[in-house]
Amino acid sequence: MSGWKFWVLLAAGCAVSCLPLLSSNNYLLQVFFRIALFAALGLAWNLVGGYAGQLSLGHAAFFGMGAYGLAIFAAHHVPMWISLFLAVLISTLVGGVIGKIVFRLRGPYFALATIAFAEVLRLGAANLDITGGAIGLSTPSLFTGESFWKLFYLSAVILAVLSFLTNYWTSRSRFGYYLMAIREDEDTASAVGIDTANYKLRSLILSAFLTSLAGAFYGSAFQFIVPDSVLTIDISVQMAIIAMLGGAGTLLGPVVGAILLTGASEIFKNHFGERHLLIYGGLIVVVVLFLPEGIMGGVQQLLRHGRRPPANPLAMKAEAQGVVRQ
Amino acid sequence: MNPLLEVKNVSKRFGGLRAVKDVSLAMHAGEILFVIGPNGAGKTTVFNLISGFLHPDEGSITFNGHDITRMPPHDAAWLGIGRTFQIVKPLPSLTVLQNVMLGAFMHTGNVRRAEEEAGRILEFLQMSQVKDFLARGLPLASLKRLEIARALATKPKLILLDEVVSGLTTAEALALAALVKRLPEWGVSVVGGVEHVMQVVMKIADRIVVLDYGAKIAEGKPEEVVRNPAVIEAYLGPRYKEIAR
Repeated sequence: MSGWKFWVLLAAGCAVSCLPLLSSNNYLLQVFFRIALFAALGLAWNLVGGYAGQLSLGHAAFFGMGAYGLAIFAAHHVPMWISLFLAVLISTLVGGVIGKIVFRLRGPYFALATIAFAEVLRLGAANLDITGGAIGLSTPSLFTGESFWKLFYLSAVILAVLSFLTNYWTSRSRFGYYLMAIREDEDTASAVGIDTANYKLRSLILSAFLTSLAGAFYGSAFQFIVPDSVLTIDISVQMAIIAMLGGAGTLLGPVVGAILLTGASEIFKNHFGERHLLIYGGLIVVVVLFLPEGIMGGVQQLLRHGRRPPANPLAMKAEAQGVVRQ
Repeated sequence: MNPLLEVKNVSKRFGGLRAVKDVSLAMHAGEILFVIGPNGAGKTTVFNLISGFLHPDEGSITFNGHDITRMPPHDAAWLGIGRTFQIVKPLPSLTVLQNVMLGAFMHTGNVRRAEEEAGRILEFLQMSQVKDFLARGLPLASLKRLEIARALATKPKLILLDEVVSGLTTAEALALAALVKRLPEWGVSVVGGVEHVMQVVMKIADRIVVLDYGAKIAEGKPEEVVRNPAVIEAYLGPRYKEIAR
């Protein structure tokens, strides 16, 4: 995507995102808050899972640490916004430590290790006193008053824009090219001088920062957290599905994924009650079958369609080279 | 004159298999050196040891004054060792140009400058017309060139070409060999090759090292090496050694 097209798209996106602010229906605002938040989460996951191609299924760890960090610090009388800052700082640092360990593993072993980390945190939170055990903790409200949901929605949009810009910068920088090289072939990446472990770690730290920020806002918006709401594997899986369904490693994929999945599941839930999970599952199956590279990945392929390389571009060249004379 | 690369008494074992046995070799500035030998002789292993993808059990490797015996591959690349892979390893869902840009990123963080540099290298390798296609769909002849282009973009002092002409037609192989001979124009000081296609090796090698069962059995100018009885025995069996005498 070239420069000006991107800024037009971003401006249009921001303008559309402001529309829900006209409504004062708290239910609608809450739904839109979740859509924007999951767009941010999908984009955060995309850095590690999309660009760097490392299938993390443990991002709930960072999400939960953001939420729990905020709640715990606030419970110890730390001012709210400082609690938020500390929670995000700690999760980002822990992201670095976790990354150091799990990036020693490749492929399915990496995915399993990330699940294990998130599960350790979930079980820890469910059994420790400081986290309130299975009963959970109440989280401080970052915003109060009439426009509670409007402000939360706006924060989620800002977070989504921040995540989007991070992805945009990644897709056009050496950093992003390095991540894509790691995804495509780690041996080739190291042959051109890329310290693969280091770059994977950097992508995870960036991703953990954005994810924990989203987690803190989520916890604060719903005012109460339990291990099964913010540290559950459901969150990890949902982040991955949103990015992959929309198109992992594409800029718009996670946004499309979040709107479609979070929006659709809400609509289905209202119309079909408990049966909505069946439809939700069906939707995922359809996309995976027909658009294995996700919706935006499929669109990119369509745009590229008909542009196949010549069968053997070097065939005629060999003779022109003048070395075939034997 | 000190050699640019010096491999001293290097051995590598894979379990019970001694893939490389006490091999020493040197590569000097300005030369094209080929390592040849029958299948399984340890040629690719030697290249993997030099480029840091494997580390030797014994012996040492020095490059341009640095001890690189246990250096990871990305650090070796920074010192100026570029390599290609025998089984081509393109970045399939990136375009040809982007593949080469990854090499160029070693010397610039600027995307546009990397594009320009990659474009120049692709022009040299006659790949300009496919530069915007995904690497995934390319035929083998182009992928082999892409391997060279990507390695060349890192501006290596030593470029290790692991069977870049194998699997190509004779015409394709000779065309590529002519380009390999021109690599010094790009600042490459030493070209090291592993090759089976003797037609190409004889044409462009300044010196040849022959490996058999992991050990060095001969070394010298191409025309000397092909008359060496030990080499003939390794390739054709003991009966032909007698004929050669």
